Amino acid sequence: MKQTAPQRALRAIPLATAYVSLAVGAFIMLMPFYYMLVFATRSNTEILSVPPPLWFGGSFFDNVSELMRFRSHFWHAMGRSLVIASLTTVLNLFFCSLAGFAFVMHDFRYKDKLFAFVMATMLMPAFVSMIPTILLMQAIGWINDMKAMVIPGACGALGIFMMRQYISGAIPRELVEAGRMDGCSEFGLYWRIVLPLLAPALGTLGLITFIGSYNNFVGALLVMRDQESFTVPLVLRSLQGTSAATWGAISAGSAIAVLPLLVAFIFYSRRLIDGLTSGAVKG
Amino acid sequence: MSKLVLRGIGKTYLGDVQVIKDLDLEVHDGEFMVFVGPSGCGKTTLLRMIAGLEEITAGTLHFDDECVNDEGPADRGAAMVFQSYALYPHMTVAENLAFSLKMAGVSKAEQKKQVDQVADILQIRPLLDRKPKALSGGQRQRVAIGRAIVRKPKVFLFDEPLSNLDANLRVQMRVELTKLHQELRCTMVYVTHDQIEAMTLGQRIAIFNKGKIEQIGTPLEVYHHPANTFVAEFMGSPKMNLLPAHRVDIADGRQALQVAAAGTVDLPMGVTPGASIATLGVRPEHFTISPNALGLEGHISLVEHLGEATLIHLRLLGTDNDIAMKLPGSHPQHRAGQYIRITCSELHMCLFDDAGNAIAVAR
Repeated sequence: MKQTAPQRALRAIPLATAYVSLAVGAFIMLMPFYYMLVFATRSNTEILSVPPPLWFGGSFFDNVSELMRFRSHFWHAMGRSLVIASLTTVLNLFFCSLAGFAFVMHDFRYKDKLFAFVMATMLMPAFVSMIPTILLMQAIGWINDMKAMVIPGACGALGIFMMRQYISGAIPRELVEAGRMDGCSEFGLYWRIVLPLLAPALGTLGLITFIGSYNNFVGALLVMRDQESFTVPLVLRSLQGTSAATWGAISAGSAIAVLPLLVAFIFYSRRLIDGLTSGAVKG
Repeated sequence: MSKLVLRGIGKTYLGDVQVIKDLDLEVHDGEFMVFVGPSGCGKTTLLRMIAGLEEITAGTLHFDDECVNDEGPADRGAAMVFQSYALYPHMTVAENLAFSLKMAGVSKAEQKKQVDQVADILQIRPLLDRKPKALSGGQRQRVAIGRAIVRKPKVFLFDEPLSNLDANLRVQMRVELTKLHQELRCTMVYVTHDQIEAMTLGQRIAIFNKGKIEQIGTPLEVYHHPANTFVAEFMGSPKMNLLPAHRVDIADGRQALQVAAAGTVDLPMGVTPGASIATLGVRPEHFTISPNALGLEGHISLVEHLGEATLIHLRLLGTDNDIAMKLPGSHPQHRAGQYIRITCSELHMCLFDDAGNAIAVAR
């Protein structure tokens, strides 16, 4: 039935409201990021002027030079952050997928209770574990050691949950049984049959883990005490304490630090969205 | 090849749910045995117990003379074709076929040789480099069978492998499976809920119901001489007609079978004297139009013209349900609402007692 103009306008209201809400949300989230990039190319005087600059300037390399003058180990910190994030991601993918495989494909006593217990750990506030973490790391001599950041992040409840959901929805049990009939060991079933089929979920969890680990400020603050062992978030934070360091240098450091994440996101964003929605509906 | 012997086999899940009850069965060396039954009757569970994918909670399972209760799935020497084919989606057809050989440590040259042999048997050589997603249903089915053959197992286990195929392909694959069995002469156990598949494929059929075997026999044995009313109704399409009947005395000291208020039919010769007859069973194709005023009277409720035959649904007098009668050829003269009389040869009658068990008839 043909609609009249007022009817069409009435129907368009919810859609327009959604678009406006999205635009406002996107603006609020993108503005700080945009200003970080603009400030990275501006001098301190320009940044502190009123009104602040809205477009890019030509002081980026001056800001980078200043960053290097104050924090010559910035590149080392960045390398350390990348290594920690990469190792954490690899270990997290391995252990979480292994746990997910066990929860889905094996029947054992108290399986459901154990899974509920794992999920319950997500309810625990992060700050509760701060002091025990410091004490533990001191006791085993891992202060200022990368292991202190890699090992605690090597397996998490969120990852186990994601893997379990993906495996139960996407990998038929018969596939594993066929592998068993073919003489595959239990680890072989995971390694040769299940793991290759987890690519979408691994991509999603990998990206989430990598970003979380790379940006981990509090964790690093607890266990990385010497400047030589600092990660990028700590280096950038430490710049704010030095009176001579400019906002331009801090912004330049932040802009450089965010580059690996941007690259990772550009390559995996489609997979991230697919992975987050997979298993949501029966396909 | 191997003989399968099941003695007192049982399966109980946690919470005392008993799905297989004290089951005895012997599958002969090189035999094609079909397990058939309605959904939830335990046939797939039993197959998985034979495969080693489900634990046996009671009884013993022997492959030849060796008890394999405690052997793992790969060590029993059985290969299984799954309902969903269960092909490894990230591997090519050749890799799928060679996987078990690779796990067994067979050299690459030998793997290739055996894969090529199987590919030739199943005519899938052009597909070897494809991934499963690039195959049709029938091709996937062949690869799944090939994966079983390549292991040279003692026993082949099939779990409803044709249920995902369309009707035409199913008929074609049935023929191919029969030929394959003739060629390989292996012991095969095949699970299906489709009684036509059971009849056409099996050398012997085991009919399952509620975790028990109701009857084991050749397809013709179970079709013509069902052990009870369950088998009588389950095997055959349309199913066997079961009519309430009892003995009555007629002239000259002879006896006949009275079927409700519809009339009488001759009592088969050789019925066990004194046996209490409660039900008369007749296959639809064994009814004929009575040439005289004798037989069973009823009115036609529906006529289905199948081309090669005519299916007449009939409500006999004094009964509550329609029965089916299948006449060869076309019969346009029969229409719904007509009253007709039908009869059947005593050779084709099956008799059952109050408990639904068959009454022996010496023929």
